[in-house]
Amino acid sequence: MSEQPVIYVNQLQKSYDKVEAVRGIDFAVSQGEVFGLLGPNGAGKTSTIEILEGLRPRTGGDALVLGFDPDKQKQQLKDRIGVCLQATNLPVKIKVQESLELFGSFYTRSVSAELLLKRLQLWEKRAAYYETLSGGQKQRLALALALVNDPQLLFLDEPTTGLDPQIRLEIHKLIEELKAEKRTVVLTTHYIEEAERLCDRVAIIDAGKIVAMGTPRELQQKSQERSRIDIVVAQPLNGTVLPQWPEALDTKLGDDGRALTVYSSRPARTLFEIMKWLDQQGIQLEDVHLKRPTLEDVFVELTGKKLRD
Amino acid sequence: MKPYLAIIAMDIKLALRLRAVIFFNYLFPLIFFFTFATLLHRSADDMVFVVTMSVTLGVLGSGFFGAGIRAIQERELNILRRYKVTPISPTPILVGSMVTGWAIFIPYIVLLLLTAHFLYKMPLPTHFFGLLLFISLGLIAFRALGLVIASVANTMQEGTILVQLFYFPMLLLSGATFPADKFPKIMTIIHNFVPATYLVKGMQNILLKGQGLGTKENLLAVIVMVVTTISGGLIATKLFRWEKEEKIRGSAKLWVLAVLLPFFAMGIWNWIHLK
Repeated sequence: MSEQPVIYVNQLQKSYDKVEAVRGIDFAVSQGEVFGLLGPNGAGKTSTIEILEGLRPRTGGDALVLGFDPDKQKQQLKDRIGVCLQATNLPVKIKVQESLELFGSFYTRSVSAELLLKRLQLWEKRAAYYETLSGGQKQRLALALALVNDPQLLFLDEPTTGLDPQIRLEIHKLIEELKAEKRTVVLTTHYIEEAERLCDRVAIIDAGKIVAMGTPRELQQKSQERSRIDIVVAQPLNGTVLPQWPEALDTKLGDDGRALTVYSSRPARTLFEIMKWLDQQGIQLEDVHLKRPTLEDVFVELTGKKLRD
Repeated sequence: MKPYLAIIAMDIKLALRLRAVIFFNYLFPLIFFFTFATLLHRSADDMVFVVTMSVTLGVLGSGFFGAGIRAIQERELNILRRYKVTPISPTPILVGSMVTGWAIFIPYIVLLLLTAHFLYKMPLPTHFFGLLLFISLGLIAFRALGLVIASVANTMQEGTILVQLFYFPMLLLSGATFPADKFPKIMTIIHNFVPATYLVKGMQNILLKGQGLGTKENLLAVIVMVVTTISGGLIATKLFRWEKEEKIRGSAKLWVLAVLLPFFAMGIWNWIHLK
Protein backbone atom coordinates (compact mmCIF):
# COMPACT_ATOMS: atom_id res chain seq x y z
CA MET A 1 0.00 0.00 0.00
CA SER A 2 1.28 3.49 -0.84
CA GLU A 3 1.93 6.12 1.83
CA GLN A 4 -0.42 8.71 0.37
CA PRO A 5 -4.04 7.81 1.17
CA VAL A 6 -6.45 7.59 -1.76
CA ILE A 7 -9.13 9.13 0.43
CA TYR A 8 -8.43 11.47 3.31
CA VAL A 9 -11.29 12.79 5.44
CA ASN A 10 -10.85 15.12 8.40
CA GLN A 11 -13.71 16.39 10.58
CA LEU A 12 -16.14 16.06 7.69
CA GLN A 13 -19.51 17.65 8.32
CA LYS A 14 -22.75 17.87 6.39
CA SER A 15 -25.95 19.61 7.43
CA TYR A 16 -29.30 19.83 5.66
CA ASP A 17 -30.97 22.94 7.09
CA LYS A 18 -30.89 22.21 10.81
CA VAL A 19 -30.28 18.48 10.50
CA GLU A 20 -26.67 17.37 10.99
CA ALA A 21 -26.27 14.29 8.81
CA VAL A 22 -22.48 13.97 9.19
CA ARG A 23 -20.96 15.27 12.43
CA GLY A 24 -17.21 15.49 12.12
CA ILE A 25 -15.85 12.18 10.89
CA ASP A 26 -12.23 11.22 10.16
CA PHE A 27 -10.81 8.37 8.16
CA ALA A 28 -8.30 7.55 5.46
CA VAL A 29 -8.37 4.83 2.84
CA SER A 30 -5.19 3.43 1.30
CA GLN A 31 -4.67 2.26 -2.24
CA GLY A 32 -5.91 -1.25 -2.92
CA GLU A 33 -8.04 -1.32 0.21
CA VAL A 34 -11.70 -2.36 0.33
CA PHE A 35 -13.20 -0.03 2.90
CA GLY A 36 -16.71 -0.64 4.19
CA LEU A 37 -19.14 1.91 5.56
CA LEU A 38 -21.80 0.29 7.71
CA GLY A 39 -24.72 2.01 9.29
CA PRO A 40 -28.49 1.96 9.58
CA ASN A 41 -30.60 4.11 7.25
CA GLY A 42 -30.09 7.80 7.98
CA ALA A 43 -26.74 7.19 9.71
CA GLY A 44 -24.94 9.51 7.29
CA LYS A 45 -23.11 6.97 5.12
CA THR A 46 -24.74 7.97 1.82
CA SER A 47 -24.13 11.68 2.60
CA THR A 48 -20.47 10.85 3.32
CA ILE A 49 -20.03 8.83 0.14
CA GLU A 50 -21.79 11.44 -2.01
CA ILE A 51 -19.56 14.22 -0.65
CA LEU A 52 -16.53 12.13 -1.59
CA GLU A 53 -17.94 11.50 -5.09
CA GLY A 54 -18.32 15.26 -5.63
CA LEU A 55 -22.11 15.02 -5.74
CA ARG A 56 -22.85 17.11 -2.64
CA PRO A 57 -20.93 19.98 -1.06
CA ARG A 58 -19.70 19.47 2.49
CA THR A 59 -20.63 21.88 5.26
CA GLY A 60 -17.30 21.63 7.08
CA GLY A 61 -14.04 19.76 7.41
CA ASP A 62 -11.55 18.61 4.80
CA ALA A 63 -11.71 15.91 2.16
CA LEU A 64 -9.24 14.82 -0.48
CA VAL A 65 -10.00 12.06 -2.96
CA LEU A 66 -7.22 10.98 -5.34
CA GLY A 67 -5.63 14.31 -4.44
CA PHE A 68 -8.68 16.29 -5.57
CA ASP A 69 -10.96 18.41 -3.42
CA PRO A 70 -14.45 16.99 -4.20
CA ASP A 71 -16.03 20.45 -3.80
CA LYS A 72 -13.62 22.38 -5.99
CA GLN A 73 -12.37 19.82 -8.52
CA LYS A 74 -15.56 17.91 -9.25
CA GLN A 75 -15.02 17.31 -12.95
CA GLN A 76 -11.43 16.08 -12.58
CA LEU A 77 -12.49 13.82 -9.73
CA LYS A 78 -15.54 12.40 -11.53
CA ASP A 79 -13.33 11.66 -14.53
CA ARG A 80 -11.15 9.38 -12.39
CA ILE A 81 -13.62 7.53 -10.15
CA GLY A 82 -16.20 4.83 -10.78
CA VAL A 83 -19.56 5.04 -9.06
CA CYS A 84 -22.34 2.50 -8.69
CA LEU A 85 -25.28 4.32 -7.13
CA GLN A 86 -28.37 2.92 -5.48
CA ALA A 87 -31.55 3.18 -7.54
CA THR A 88 -30.47 4.49 -10.91
CA ASN A 89 -32.04 3.75 -14.25
CA LEU A 90 -31.27 4.07 -17.91
CA PRO A 91 -33.67 4.90 -20.75
CA VAL A 92 -35.85 1.87 -21.44
CA LYS A 93 -34.92 1.65 -25.11
CA ILE A 94 -31.16 1.94 -24.76
CA LYS A 95 -29.24 -1.21 -25.64
CA VAL A 96 -26.70 -2.64 -23.21
CA GLN A 97 -23.65 -2.04 -25.41
CA GLU A 98 -24.89 1.41 -26.45
CA SER A 99 -25.13 2.48 -22.82
CA LEU A 100 -21.48 1.59 -22.22
CA GLU A 101 -20.39 3.38 -25.38
CA LEU A 102 -22.45 6.46 -24.47
CA PHE A 103 -21.14 6.71 -20.91
CA GLY A 104 -17.62 5.86 -22.07
CA SER A 105 -17.71 8.96 -24.30
CA PHE A 106 -18.03 11.21 -21.22
CA TYR A 107 -14.57 10.32 -19.90
CA THR A 108 -11.08 11.18 -21.05
CA ARG A 109 -10.20 7.49 -20.83
CA SER A 110 -12.49 4.52 -21.42
CA VAL A 111 -12.35 0.74 -21.58
CA SER A 112 -13.70 -1.21 -24.55
CA ALA A 113 -17.39 -2.00 -24.13
CA GLU A 114 -16.79 -5.53 -25.41
CA LEU A 115 -14.23 -6.21 -22.71
CA LEU A 116 -16.51 -4.99 -19.96
CA LEU A 117 -19.54 -6.86 -21.28
CA LYS A 118 -17.57 -10.09 -21.35
CA ARG A 119 -16.18 -9.49 -17.88
CA LEU A 120 -19.64 -8.79 -16.43
CA GLN A 121 -21.21 -11.72 -18.33
CA LEU A 122 -23.41 -9.42 -20.38
CA TRP A 123 -21.97 -10.12 -23.82
CA GLU A 124 -24.99 -12.23 -24.79
CA LYS A 125 -27.22 -9.35 -23.78
CA ARG A 126 -25.29 -6.64 -25.63
CA ALA A 127 -28.12 -5.91 -28.07
CA ALA A 128 -30.92 -6.19 -25.49
CA TYR A 129 -32.95 -3.17 -24.46
CA TYR A 130 -32.47 -2.03 -20.86
CA GLU A 131 -36.17 -2.62 -20.15
CA THR A 132 -35.78 -6.34 -20.90
CA LEU A 133 -32.97 -6.97 -18.38
CA SER A 134 -33.52 -8.75 -15.07
CA GLY A 135 -32.64 -7.05 -11.78
CA GLY A 136 -29.31 -8.89 -11.61
CA GLN A 137 -28.42 -7.99 -15.20
CA LYS A 138 -29.28 -4.33 -14.56
CA GLN A 139 -27.00 -4.33 -11.53
CA ARG A 140 -24.19 -5.98 -13.51
CA LEU A 141 -24.63 -3.26 -16.13
CA ALA A 142 -24.49 -0.61 -13.38
CA LEU A 143 -21.17 -2.12 -12.28
CA ALA A 144 -19.92 -2.22 -15.87
CA LEU A 145 -20.80 1.48 -16.17
CA ALA A 146 -18.85 2.15 -12.96
CA LEU A 147 -15.83 0.50 -14.61
CA VAL A 148 -16.18 2.18 -18.00
CA ASN A 149 -13.40 4.73 -17.30
CA ASP A 150 -11.04 2.12 -15.83
CA PRO A 151 -11.12 3.82 -12.39
CA GLN A 152 -8.57 3.16 -9.66
CA LEU A 153 -11.16 4.13 -7.04
CA LEU A 154 -14.72 2.80 -6.97
CA PHE A 155 -17.65 3.77 -4.80
CA LEU A 156 -20.20 0.98 -4.60
CA ASP A 157 -23.34 2.04 -2.75
CA GLU A 158 -25.21 -1.09 -1.67
CA PRO A 159 -24.39 -2.94 -4.89
CA THR A 160 -26.16 -6.17 -3.93
CA THR A 161 -29.29 -4.92 -2.18
CA GLY A 162 -32.39 -6.75 -3.34
CA LEU A 163 -30.50 -9.27 -5.47
CA ASP A 164 -30.78 -13.03 -5.19
CA PRO A 165 -27.93 -14.93 -3.45
CA GLN A 166 -26.38 -16.21 -6.67
CA ILE A 167 -26.06 -12.74 -8.20
CA ARG A 168 -24.71 -11.46 -4.88
CA LEU A 169 -22.00 -14.09 -4.98
CA GLU A 170 -21.10 -13.10 -8.55
CA ILE A 171 -20.80 -9.47 -7.47
CA HIS A 172 -18.68 -10.49 -4.45
CA LYS A 173 -16.38 -12.31 -6.85
CA LEU A 174 -16.10 -9.18 -9.01
CA ILE A 175 -15.24 -7.04 -5.98
CA GLU A 176 -12.57 -9.57 -5.01
CA GLU A 177 -11.17 -9.34 -8.54
CA LEU A 178 -11.11 -5.54 -8.29
CA LYS A 179 -9.24 -5.86 -5.02
CA ALA A 180 -6.75 -8.25 -6.63
CA GLU A 181 -6.20 -5.63 -9.34
CA LYS A 182 -5.20 -3.19 -6.54
CA ARG A 183 -8.18 -0.95 -7.11
CA THR A 184 -9.53 0.87 -4.07
CA VAL A 185 -13.17 0.20 -3.26
CA VAL A 186 -15.45 2.06 -0.86
CA LEU A 187 -18.44 -0.13 -0.18
CA THR A 188 -21.64 0.53 1.71
CA THR A 189 -23.80 -2.43 2.49
CA HIS A 190 -26.62 -3.71 4.62
CA TYR A 191 -25.25 -7.24 4.50
CA ILE A 192 -22.90 -7.93 7.38
CA GLU A 193 -21.52 -11.09 5.80
CA GLU A 194 -20.64 -9.04 2.72
CA ALA A 195 -18.61 -6.61 4.84
CA GLU A 196 -16.96 -9.48 6.74
CA ARG A 197 -16.05 -11.26 3.54
CA LEU A 198 -14.97 -8.36 1.35
CA CYS A 199 -13.76 -5.47 3.48
CA ASP A 200 -10.19 -4.98 4.69
CA ARG A 201 -11.49 -2.37 7.10
CA VAL A 202 -14.91 -1.25 8.20
CA ALA A 203 -16.21 1.98 9.73
CA ILE A 204 -19.47 1.79 11.63
CA ILE A 205 -21.41 5.04 11.34
CA ASP A 206 -24.27 5.98 13.59
CA ALA A 207 -26.03 9.33 13.86
CA GLY A 208 -23.40 11.00 11.67
CA LYS A 209 -20.38 9.80 13.65
CA ILE A 210 -17.96 6.90 13.31
CA VAL A 211 -18.50 4.76 16.38
CA ALA A 212 -15.92 2.09 15.51
CA MET A 213 -13.34 1.45 12.82
CA GLY A 214 -10.94 -1.39 12.12
CA THR A 215 -10.64 -4.73 10.37
CA PRO A 216 -13.74 -6.92 10.81
CA ARG A 217 -11.66 -9.18 13.08
CA GLU A 218 -10.46 -6.28 15.23
CA LEU A 219 -14.02 -5.10 15.66
CA GLN A 220 -15.18 -8.58 16.57
CA GLN A 221 -12.40 -8.87 19.14
CA LYS A 222 -13.38 -5.55 20.70
CA SER A 223 -16.83 -6.92 21.26
CA GLN A 224 -17.90 -7.82 24.75
CA GLU A 225 -20.06 -10.54 23.27
CA ARG A 226 -19.12 -14.08 24.19
CA SER A 227 -18.14 -16.82 21.76
CA ARG A 228 -20.39 -19.82 21.77
CA ILE A 229 -19.23 -23.45 21.49
CA ASP A 230 -21.89 -25.97 20.45
CA ILE A 231 -21.01 -29.63 20.95
CA VAL A 232 -23.01 -32.79 20.24
CA VAL A 233 -21.83 -36.04 21.82
CA ALA A 234 -22.87 -39.65 21.15
CA GLN A 235 -24.13 -40.58 24.62
CA PRO A 236 -26.26 -38.43 26.98
CA LEU A 237 -24.39 -36.53 29.69
CA ASN A 238 -27.39 -36.37 32.06
CA GLY A 239 -26.18 -37.00 35.56
CA THR A 240 -22.54 -36.39 34.65
CA VAL A 241 -20.87 -33.65 36.68
CA LEU A 242 -19.50 -31.21 34.17
CA PRO A 243 -16.24 -29.53 35.13
CA GLN A 244 -15.64 -25.75 35.18
CA TRP A 245 -13.57 -25.44 32.00
CA PRO A 246 -11.01 -22.60 31.85
CA GLU A 247 -12.42 -19.25 30.60
CA ALA A 248 -15.92 -20.78 30.32
CA LEU A 249 -18.55 -18.26 31.39
CA ASP A 250 -21.64 -20.43 31.23
CA THR A 251 -22.50 -24.03 30.34
CA LYS A 252 -25.88 -25.43 29.31
CA LEU A 253 -26.89 -29.00 28.59
CA GLY A 254 -29.78 -29.63 26.19
CA ASP A 255 -32.90 -31.62 27.15
CA ASP A 256 -31.66 -34.75 25.37
CA GLY A 257 -28.38 -34.58 27.31
CA ARG A 258 -26.33 -34.78 24.15
CA ALA A 259 -26.15 -31.10 23.11
CA LEU A 260 -23.79 -29.01 25.15
CA THR A 261 -23.45 -25.22 24.82
CA VAL A 262 -20.53 -23.46 26.43
CA TYR A 263 -20.01 -19.66 26.40
CA SER A 264 -16.45 -18.49 26.63
CA SER A 265 -14.36 -15.33 26.56
CA ARG A 266 -11.39 -17.29 25.13
CA PRO A 267 -13.00 -19.98 23.00
CA ALA A 268 -9.81 -21.63 21.70
CA ARG A 269 -8.60 -22.37 25.20
CA THR A 270 -11.99 -23.55 26.43
CA LEU A 271 -12.52 -25.74 23.38
CA PHE A 272 -9.13 -27.37 23.81
CA GLU A 273 -9.97 -28.23 27.43
CA ILE A 274 -13.40 -29.60 26.52
CA MET A 275 -11.88 -31.86 23.87
CA LYS A 276 -9.31 -33.09 26.36
CA TRP A 277 -12.03 -33.82 28.94
CA LEU A 278 -14.21 -35.68 26.44
CA ASP A 279 -11.26 -37.80 25.41
CA GLN A 280 -10.40 -38.60 29.03
CA GLN A 281 -14.02 -39.57 29.71
CA GLY A 282 -14.15 -41.74 26.59
CA ILE A 283 -17.11 -39.77 25.27
CA GLN A 284 -17.47 -39.83 21.50
CA LEU A 285 -17.77 -36.45 19.81
CA GLU A 286 -20.34 -36.15 16.98
CA ASP A 287 -20.32 -32.45 16.12
CA VAL A 288 -18.69 -29.22 17.21
CA HIS A 289 -19.30 -25.57 16.20
CA LEU A 290 -17.61 -22.40 17.33
CA LYS A 291 -19.54 -19.17 16.83
CA ARG A 292 -17.62 -15.96 17.37
CA PRO A 293 -19.48 -12.64 17.79
CA THR A 294 -20.31 -11.40 14.30
CA LEU A 295 -19.96 -7.90 12.98
CA GLU A 296 -23.72 -7.73 13.37
CA ASP A 297 -23.32 -8.40 17.12
CA VAL A 298 -20.69 -5.66 17.29
CA PHE A 299 -22.94 -3.36 15.33
CA VAL A 300 -25.91 -3.93 17.62
CA GLU A 301 -23.68 -3.54 20.67
CA LEU A 302 -22.32 -0.19 19.44
CA THR A 303 -25.43 1.37 17.95
CA GLY A 304 -28.28 -0.37 19.72
CA LYS A 305 -29.82 -0.88 16.27
CA LYS A 306 -30.01 -3.62 13.70
CA LEU A 307 -28.21 -2.82 10.46
CA ARG A 308 -31.40 -2.92 8.44
CA ASP A 309 -33.34 -0.62 10.79
CA MET B 1 -17.47 17.81 -28.26
CA LYS B 2 -17.51 14.00 -27.93
CA PRO B 3 -20.23 13.92 -25.22
CA TYR B 4 -22.42 16.32 -27.23
CA LEU B 5 -22.27 14.17 -30.35
CA ALA B 6 -22.74 10.94 -28.40
CA ILE B 7 -25.78 12.29 -26.53
CA ILE B 8 -27.37 13.74 -29.68
CA ALA B 9 -26.84 10.49 -31.63
CA MET B 10 -28.24 8.42 -28.75
CA ASP B 11 -31.21 10.75 -28.15
CA ILE B 12 -32.18 10.53 -31.82
CA LYS B 13 -31.93 6.72 -31.74
CA LEU B 14 -33.98 6.52 -28.55
CA ALA B 15 -36.61 8.92 -29.88
CA LEU B 16 -37.06 6.86 -33.04
CA ARG B 17 -37.49 3.71 -30.94
CA LEU B 18 -40.35 5.19 -28.93
CA ARG B 19 -43.79 4.85 -30.45
CA ALA B 20 -45.04 7.82 -28.40
CA VAL B 21 -42.46 10.09 -30.04
CA ILE B 22 -43.49 9.00 -33.52
CA PHE B 23 -47.15 9.36 -32.62
CA PHE B 24 -46.92 12.85 -31.10
CA ASN B 25 -44.42 14.22 -33.61
CA TYR B 26 -45.88 12.79 -36.80
CA LEU B 27 -49.20 10.98 -36.54
CA PHE B 28 -51.03 13.28 -34.13
CA PRO B 29 -50.36 16.54 -36.05
CA LEU B 30 -50.93 14.72 -39.34
CA ILE B 31 -54.35 13.51 -38.15
CA PHE B 32 -55.24 17.15 -37.41
CA PHE B 33 -53.81 18.21 -40.72
CA PHE B 34 -55.80 15.73 -42.81
CA THR B 35 -59.01 16.27 -40.83
CA PHE B 36 -58.93 20.05 -41.17
CA ALA B 37 -57.51 20.00 -44.68
CA THR B 38 -60.38 17.78 -45.80
CA LEU B 39 -62.88 20.16 -44.18
CA LEU B 40 -61.30 23.48 -45.12
CA HIS B 41 -59.31 23.12 -48.31
CA ARG B 42 -61.44 25.58 -50.30
CA SER B 43 -58.62 28.09 -50.79
CA ALA B 44 -54.88 28.51 -50.40
CA ASP B 45 -55.56 30.80 -47.42
CA ASP B 46 -57.50 28.03 -45.72
CA MET B 47 -54.68 25.62 -46.35
CA VAL B 48 -52.16 28.06 -44.83
CA PHE B 49 -54.39 28.18 -41.74
CA VAL B 50 -54.43 24.38 -41.59
CA VAL B 51 -50.65 24.08 -42.10
CA THR B 52 -49.99 26.78 -39.50
CA MET B 53 -52.27 25.01 -37.03
CA SER B 54 -50.55 21.65 -37.57
CA VAL B 55 -47.07 23.15 -37.24
CA THR B 56 -47.99 25.11 -34.10
CA LEU B 57 -49.53 22.00 -32.58
CA GLY B 58 -46.30 20.13 -33.28
CA VAL B 59 -44.00 22.92 -32.05
CA LEU B 60 -45.89 23.36 -28.77
CA GLY B 61 -46.16 19.59 -28.27
CA SER B 62 -42.45 19.15 -28.94
CA GLY B 63 -41.53 22.03 -26.60
CA PHE B 64 -43.77 21.34 -23.65
CA PHE B 65 -44.21 17.57 -23.79
CA GLY B 66 -41.22 16.39 -25.84
CA ALA B 67 -38.67 18.53 -23.99
CA GLY B 68 -40.36 19.59 -20.72
CA ILE B 69 -42.30 16.54 -19.59
CA ARG B 70 -39.63 14.15 -20.85
CA ALA B 71 -36.93 15.95 -18.83
CA ILE B 72 -39.07 15.69 -15.68
CA GLN B 73 -39.68 12.01 -16.43
CA GLU B 74 -35.95 11.33 -16.75
CA ARG B 75 -35.33 13.03 -13.43
CA GLU B 76 -38.21 11.20 -11.70
CA LEU B 77 -37.06 7.81 -13.06
CA ASN B 78 -33.51 8.38 -11.71
CA ILE B 79 -32.06 8.37 -15.23
CA LEU B 80 -30.37 11.77 -14.81
CA ARG B 81 -28.89 10.54 -11.52
CA ARG B 82 -26.71 8.14 -13.52
CA TYR B 83 -25.36 11.04 -15.59
CA LYS B 84 -24.67 13.04 -12.44
CA VAL B 85 -21.75 10.81 -11.43
CA THR B 86 -19.98 11.35 -14.75
CA PRO B 87 -17.80 14.37 -15.57
CA ILE B 88 -20.35 16.00 -17.90
CA SER B 89 -22.29 19.18 -17.12
CA PRO B 90 -26.03 19.65 -17.84
CA THR B 91 -25.23 21.55 -21.07
CA PRO B 92 -24.73 18.51 -23.37
CA ILE B 93 -27.98 17.01 -22.06
CA LEU B 94 -29.94 20.21 -22.72
CA VAL B 95 -28.32 20.83 -26.09
CA GLY B 96 -28.98 17.18 -26.95
CA SER B 97 -32.67 17.65 -26.15
CA MET B 98 -32.94 20.74 -28.37
CA VAL B 99 -31.05 19.28 -31.32
CA THR B 100 -32.92 15.97 -31.15
CA GLY B 101 -36.29 17.71 -31.06
CA TRP B 102 -35.28 19.71 -34.11
CA ALA B 103 -33.89 16.72 -36.03
CA ILE B 104 -37.06 14.72 -35.40
CA PHE B 105 -39.42 17.58 -36.24
CA ILE B 106 -37.99 19.14 -39.39
CA PRO B 107 -38.69 16.12 -41.65
CA TYR B 108 -42.33 16.39 -40.53
CA ILE B 109 -42.45 20.04 -41.67
CA VAL B 110 -41.08 19.16 -45.09
CA LEU B 111 -43.55 16.28 -45.36
CA LEU B 112 -46.41 18.56 -44.33
CA LEU B 113 -45.55 21.31 -46.82
CA LEU B 114 -45.15 18.84 -49.66
CA THR B 115 -48.43 17.08 -48.79
CA ALA B 116 -50.27 20.44 -48.61
CA HIS B 117 -48.79 21.39 -51.97
CA PHE B 118 -49.34 18.17 -53.88
CA LEU B 119 -52.62 16.99 -52.34
CA TYR B 120 -54.33 20.29 -51.54
CA LYS B 121 -52.77 22.67 -54.05
CA MET B 122 -51.21 25.01 -51.48
CA PRO B 123 -48.43 26.97 -53.22
CA LEU B 124 -44.98 26.23 -51.85
CA PRO B 125 -43.57 29.21 -49.94
CA THR B 126 -41.30 31.57 -51.89
CA HIS B 127 -38.95 31.56 -48.93
CA PHE B 128 -38.98 27.82 -48.28
CA PHE B 129 -35.71 27.74 -46.32
CA GLY B 130 -36.63 30.99 -44.57
CA LEU B 131 -39.78 29.24 -43.35
CA LEU B 132 -37.81 26.19 -42.21
CA LEU B 133 -35.39 28.45 -40.36
CA PHE B 134 -38.24 30.39 -38.75
CA ILE B 135 -39.98 27.20 -37.60
CA SER B 136 -36.66 25.81 -36.36
CA LEU B 137 -36.09 28.92 -34.23
CA GLY B 138 -39.63 28.67 -32.89
CA LEU B 139 -39.20 25.00 -32.10
CA ILE B 140 -35.91 25.55 -30.26
CA ALA B 141 -37.34 28.54 -28.35
CA PHE B 142 -40.35 26.52 -27.17
CA ARG B 143 -38.14 23.55 -26.27
CA ALA B 144 -36.03 25.94 -24.19
CA LEU B 145 -39.23 27.09 -22.48
CA GLY B 146 -40.21 23.44 -21.88
CA LEU B 147 -36.80 22.77 -20.33
CA VAL B 148 -37.18 25.78 -18.02
CA ILE B 149 -40.55 24.41 -16.89
CA ALA B 150 -38.86 21.04 -16.23
CA SER B 151 -36.19 22.84 -14.19
CA VAL B 152 -38.64 24.63 -11.92
CA ALA B 153 -41.19 21.81 -11.46
CA ASN B 154 -40.47 19.72 -8.39
CA THR B 155 -42.71 16.81 -9.39
CA MET B 156 -44.37 15.41 -12.47
CA GLN B 157 -47.69 16.68 -11.16
CA GLU B 158 -46.38 20.25 -10.89
CA GLY B 159 -44.79 19.95 -14.32
CA THR B 160 -48.01 18.73 -15.92
CA ILE B 161 -50.00 21.61 -14.39
CA LEU B 162 -47.44 24.17 -15.57
CA VAL B 163 -47.35 22.69 -19.06
CA GLN B 164 -51.15 22.71 -19.37
CA LEU B 165 -51.21 26.31 -18.12
CA PHE B 166 -49.05 27.34 -21.05
CA TYR B 167 -49.96 24.79 -23.73
CA PHE B 168 -53.72 25.27 -24.04
CA PRO B 169 -53.87 29.10 -23.86
CA MET B 170 -51.09 29.23 -26.45
CA LEU B 171 -52.92 26.80 -28.69
CA LEU B 172 -56.28 28.55 -28.36
CA LEU B 173 -55.26 32.21 -28.20
CA SER B 174 -52.35 32.33 -30.66
CA GLY B 175 -54.59 32.23 -33.71
CA ALA B 176 -53.40 28.72 -34.53
CA THR B 177 -56.72 27.01 -33.92
CA PHE B 178 -59.17 29.94 -34.23
CA PRO B 179 -58.56 32.77 -36.71
CA ALA B 180 -57.27 35.73 -34.71
CA ASP B 181 -59.09 38.26 -36.91
CA LYS B 182 -62.38 36.95 -35.54
CA PHE B 183 -61.34 37.48 -31.88
CA PRO B 184 -63.22 40.16 -29.87
CA LYS B 185 -61.12 43.18 -28.88
CA ILE B 186 -60.18 41.98 -25.39
CA MET B 187 -59.08 38.64 -26.84
CA THR B 188 -57.01 40.47 -29.46
CA ILE B 189 -55.14 42.26 -26.67
CA ILE B 190 -54.47 38.97 -24.87
CA HIS B 191 -53.57 37.37 -28.21
CA ASN B 192 -50.69 39.84 -28.55
CA PHE B 193 -49.21 38.67 -25.24
CA VAL B 194 -49.29 34.98 -26.15
CA PRO B 195 -45.80 33.80 -27.23
CA ALA B 196 -47.08 31.33 -29.83
CA THR B 197 -48.84 34.23 -31.61
CA TYR B 198 -45.51 35.34 -33.08
CA LEU B 199 -44.79 31.87 -34.39
CA VAL B 200 -48.21 31.71 -36.05
CA LYS B 201 -48.04 35.26 -37.45
CA GLY B 202 -44.55 34.73 -38.79
CA MET B 203 -45.51 31.52 -40.57
CA GLN B 204 -48.62 33.18 -42.03
CA ASN B 205 -46.54 36.14 -43.22
CA ILE B 206 -44.11 33.83 -45.00
CA LEU B 207 -46.75 31.48 -46.42
CA LEU B 208 -49.48 33.96 -47.30
CA LYS B 209 -47.69 37.21 -48.00
CA GLY B 210 -44.51 35.70 -49.42
CA GLN B 211 -42.44 37.63 -46.89
CA GLY B 212 -38.90 36.69 -45.93
CA LEU B 213 -37.35 36.91 -42.50
CA GLY B 214 -36.09 40.44 -43.17
CA THR B 215 -39.41 42.29 -42.65
CA LYS B 216 -39.70 44.31 -39.45
CA GLU B 217 -42.39 42.07 -37.92
CA ASN B 218 -40.66 38.81 -38.78
CA LEU B 219 -37.27 40.06 -37.76
CA LEU B 220 -38.63 41.10 -34.36
CA ALA B 221 -40.20 37.65 -33.94
CA VAL B 222 -36.86 36.05 -34.87
CA ILE B 223 -35.01 38.21 -32.33
CA VAL B 224 -37.56 37.42 -29.62
CA MET B 225 -37.27 33.68 -30.29
CA VAL B 226 -33.47 33.79 -30.29
CA VAL B 227 -33.46 35.76 -27.01
CA THR B 228 -35.93 33.23 -25.53
CA THR B 229 -33.72 30.34 -26.65
CA ILE B 230 -30.59 31.88 -25.13
CA SER B 231 -32.21 33.01 -21.88
CA GLY B 232 -34.20 29.77 -21.59
CA GLY B 233 -31.08 27.70 -22.23
CA LEU B 234 -29.08 29.61 -19.63
CA ILE B 235 -31.83 29.44 -17.00
CA ALA B 236 -32.47 25.74 -17.66
CA THR B 237 -28.72 25.08 -17.23
CA LYS B 238 -28.54 27.16 -14.06
CA LEU B 239 -31.59 25.53 -12.46
CA PHE B 240 -30.93 22.02 -13.80
CA ARG B 241 -31.47 19.28 -11.24
CA TRP B 242 -30.22 15.72 -11.61
CA GLU B 243 -32.30 14.13 -8.88
CA LYS B 244 -35.93 14.23 -7.83
CA GLU B 245 -34.83 14.67 -4.21
CA GLU B 246 -33.24 18.04 -5.04
CA LYS B 247 -36.21 20.34 -4.60
CA ILE B 248 -36.35 23.92 -5.78
CA ARG B 249 -38.14 26.74 -3.96
CA GLY B 250 -41.63 27.65 -5.21
CA SER B 251 -40.62 31.18 -6.19
CA ALA B 252 -38.23 29.70 -8.80
CA LYS B 253 -41.31 29.21 -11.00
CA LEU B 254 -41.13 32.94 -11.73
CA TRP B 255 -38.16 32.14 -13.96
CA VAL B 256 -40.66 30.84 -16.53
CA LEU B 257 -42.16 34.33 -16.69
CA ALA B 258 -38.68 35.81 -16.94
CA VAL B 259 -38.00 33.69 -20.04
CA LEU B 260 -41.24 34.95 -21.56
CA LEU B 261 -40.34 38.62 -21.02
CA PRO B 262 -39.28 39.20 -24.66
CA PHE B 263 -42.73 38.00 -25.77
CA PHE B 264 -44.41 40.31 -23.24
CA ALA B 265 -42.33 43.17 -24.61
CA MET B 266 -43.61 42.29 -28.09
CA GLY B 267 -47.15 42.19 -26.68
CA ILE B 268 -46.81 45.68 -25.24
CA TRP B 269 -45.32 46.96 -28.48
CA ASN B 270 -48.22 45.48 -30.48
CA TRP B 271 -50.79 46.68 -27.96
CA ILE B 272 -49.54 50.25 -28.28
CA HIS B 273 -49.70 49.98 -32.06
CA LEU B 274 -53.16 48.41 -31.86
CA LYS B 275 -54.43 51.39 -29.87
